Amino acid sequence: MLSAEKNERLTRVGPGAPMGELLRRYWWPVATHDMATRVPVKRRLLGEDLVLFRDGSGTVGLLAEQCPHRRAALWLGCTEDVGLRCGYHGWRFDTSGRCLEQPGEPTESTFKDRVQATAYPVQELGGLIFAYLGPLPAPELPRYDLFVWEDAWRDIGHAELPCNFVQIMENSVDPYHVEWLHGRYGNFLREIGGHDAPLPVVSKKHVRVAFEVFEHGILKRRVLEGHTEEDEDWKVGHPLVFPHMLRVGAAGLATFQIRVPIDDENTWHVWYQTYRPEGGAPPQESIPVYDVPLFDEKGEYLRDYVDGQDIVAWITQGRISDRTKEHLGRSDLGVILLRKLYAEQMDAVARGEDPLCTYREPHDVIDLPMERDKFGSAVEFRQLWTRESSIRYSPIKDEIVELFGDPVPTWA
Amino acid sequence: MGIGFCPGCGTALDETSFVQEFWSGADRHFLCWCASCRLMCTVIIGALVGTEPEH
Repeated sequence: MLSAEKNERLTRVGPGAPMGELLRRYWWPVATHDMATRVPVKRRLLGEDLVLFRDGSGTVGLLAEQCPHRRAALWLGCTEDVGLRCGYHGWRFDTSGRCLEQPGEPTESTFKDRVQATAYPVQELGGLIFAYLGPLPAPELPRYDLFVWEDAWRDIGHAELPCNFVQIMENSVDPYHVEWLHGRYGNFLREIGGHDAPLPVVSKKHVRVAFEVFEHGILKRRVLEGHTEEDEDWKVGHPLVFPHMLRVGAAGLATFQIRVPIDDENTWHVWYQTYRPEGGAPPQESIPVYDVPLFDEKGEYLRDYVDGQDIVAWITQGRISDRTKEHLGRSDLGVILLRKLYAEQMDAVARGEDPLCTYREPHDVIDLPMERDKFGSAVEFRQLWTRESSIRYSPIKDEIVELFGDPVPTWA
Repeated sequence: MGIGFCPGCGTALDETSFVQEFWSGADRHFLCWCASCRLMCTVIIGALVGTEPEH
């Protein structure tokens, strides 16, 4: 168990909370590229209500939701050539929050020079809009490899999940769940549903796991039944990228699972996928964005694929998992290490230090480690992942399968 | 029952420190990280296992 106080400290993401202050030291995806248009939209990040827009000059802005004039929501507004005009009385603000116009006030008034909307820095990278809500100067936006590769296809799936982000992150340092949630339970559903062939790959038992704090977060290694420490699952592993991402995949197929805290009880989950076969992918005109559904036509949680099983495990832990009632064992050491790392980095911020994975120097790319042959075989993993992950909902799913040219597996 | 003080420096393990209970067979363990002296250790009831820093 964890004490109620420590659970509170671990999970509260709003301004002023220790975790909230830690998380405000990072850039967060606040939207996909298609959400930033001339029509302002409401977004919520780290417990703060925001308005995202792209003005007529193409500049993306992110302001606090409420207009500083009479507190109407600024998504009730119109974008102009420069800035966003509140729909209520026409006050206009640029992307830095500066008030440019106050219709109705005397022409000679300097009142507008003393009014400021709360504005946050934003940057576009790899089809995502990133925002920084912390103290200035902002660190560099980390140019992680998947966001910047020029010879890869991408797609972006996303869903709002009704639970705290920490329980989702804990899943990423919990390797044993793979063989049970996706192996045994997933195959149980297949048996019940009349599928003869069980899923291979995810059913293999774990022989050994290890976790190592390193410059990008926590590196996770595993030895599976029938494999050795010479296999890439152990020799290379793959990382939890602190504080908010999992990097997972195999040769040519690499994903960031990005867990964005909307507030204490809700998380925007982004599946950011890249497809980069040997020799690179042909140019891609635009990055498709799609919703990952949570429910089937009967209103029941979708559980017949890997990501659906994960989602239901996360959500059913509760809006904020009550860790005072849990019972951790040795197989949970990765989870414990992650909690300790959050505690340590909260303390670093309180001491005035930059936390782990803060970049102050401009850089071209940050390369992350990841297995090429995952669970023993890149092809088998890609066969599974293109069919049994959220990629099943991608509008370019068929093109992705064709891009790699892997044979159709016998279990499909 | 929990661990109230750092086994290394004796400072109270307050809210900024980290204490996590887990079980290993019949043994009750507490992983502790002290925000004051930065010691990470595991207290097993009746024993103390130190985590040696990397060197």
